[in-house]
Amino acid sequence: MTEPRKILVVDDEPDLERLMLQRMRREIRRGKFHFTFAGNGVQALEALNKDPEIEMVLSDINMPEMDGLTLLEQIPKVDPNIRSVIVSAYGDMKNIRTAMNRGAFDFVTKPLDFDDLRVTIDRTLRHLTMLREALQSRDKLVALENELSVGRSMQQAILPTSFPETQTYQVFANMEPARDVGGDFFDILSLPDNRIGLAIADVSGKGVPAALFMMSSRTLLKGAAVGRTSPSEVLTEVNELLNENNETSMFVTLFFAIFDPASGLLTFANAGHNPPLIVHSDGSHTLFGTSAGVALGVVPGIEYTQQQIRLEPGDMALCYTDGVTEAENENQDQFGLEQLTELFSESPPTSAREANDIVFRAVETFSGDAPQFDDITCLTLYRSE
Amino acid sequence: MEVRTEREDDVLVTTVNGRIDSATVSEFQHLMERAITDDIRRVIVDFENLSYINSAGLRAVLVITKNLWTRNAKLALHSLQPSIQEVFSIAGFDKIIQVCADKAEALDATQEK
Repeated sequence: MTEPRKILVVDDEPDLERLMLQRMRREIRRGKFHFTFAGNGVQALEALNKDPEIEMVLSDINMPEMDGLTLLEQIPKVDPNIRSVIVSAYGDMKNIRTAMNRGAFDFVTKPLDFDDLRVTIDRTLRHLTMLREALQSRDKLVALENELSVGRSMQQAILPTSFPETQTYQVFANMEPARDVGGDFFDILSLPDNRIGLAIADVSGKGVPAALFMMSSRTLLKGAAVGRTSPSEVLTEVNELLNENNETSMFVTLFFAIFDPASGLLTFANAGHNPPLIVHSDGSHTLFGTSAGVALGVVPGIEYTQQQIRLEPGDMALCYTDGVTEAENENQDQFGLEQLTELFSESPPTSAREANDIVFRAVETFSGDAPQFDDITCLTLYRSE
Repeated sequence: MEVRTEREDDVLVTTVNGRIDSATVSEFQHLMERAITDDIRRVIVDFENLSYINSAGLRAVLVITKNLWTRNAKLALHSLQPSIQEVFSIAGFDKIIQVCADKAEALDATQEK
């Protein structure tokens, strides 16, 4: 059996220890996690120095003696490979932003949602496993092939694997990775008032650097989306953050939407990504222009246009990456947007999963034996009633 | 993929043929960077015979452009096929990088004012 992964929890609230041990008892009993507790930053550093096997820190921000933001600066001096997740008050963007700038890997908000915390811990530990593999392969100076496959695994590790499905709407997303290069990702965020945030993106570049850029894009997006209701402001914020210290000129095209199930309104902004295809229940469709904003990370100071559409019952929003429309057949013809829209004109789908299946089957049939150059990704939101 | 470069005073006139994809992007960037010596003030790139460019290719164009910006030199692309034009416009790169209809327009757009 593998050793439990060690996590240090830092909080001056004494009840948290009892609560954590109680809510995580199954994971502790199964030997999956091992928790250590500290009451402030000073105690946390002592604990880290004492036990070099601690991989992850979950820390509150406001604490006596040494607060969580100061602790964040000190942790890399103990071990640069420790990853920190910050616990912040809901919508406290100032502190979240500072935490991100100081290298926090992710954050969760108070009051703690333990299901969400479990997902966040899993994601952080998966990231660490992949990072360790990446560092090992670099040590061994192995071929680029290996670096690419580690980047791939890091990419897969951040994708959500469960999708919201309620009486009023469903979301489904999947990705077919290209053999070598590609940097698609998607994310689904729970927002206040039952709203959900939907993101689909394509990172330029390959291997571990692109995967790391993808991680920070995802975390910054989540950080910016919490406490904001305007997708265009979210994109402006993420763009500013990504442009700080972007020596590599990597960029990410990203479509971000907020869906309000109560009204059916889908509000979105677009940073250089393919616009979504809206398919109505009668098979007709709505397309948005491609004159979108600039991809994130290219230049600072960009303002993004915001658009809104109401999804009626039976309507769906199909978000996709260019791997779909630019899929090639053996004659190097591209699948194209027109063919994508025609897929649904005769028989509009009745679920998000079905819509994705139709797209993936059609692209596969079209491509035949031609090589797949890019990741193929679809994220579909279907409003059922 | 093939890159042809030719100097006309302080202007580098470039023609790219073929595809800029994961297999050719490093070569494209390398050939361009080698041709752009420090005395080049303007770079114009003919993309008429470019049939495909992926996001790694866009990034290479961005890196080249940003390097030129740091010393106030300019770059313009011209004669893009509609499908290539669309790739640039979806990513919003046409808002950052000069995209012109033809060579004359590209020369004019990079003129120091």
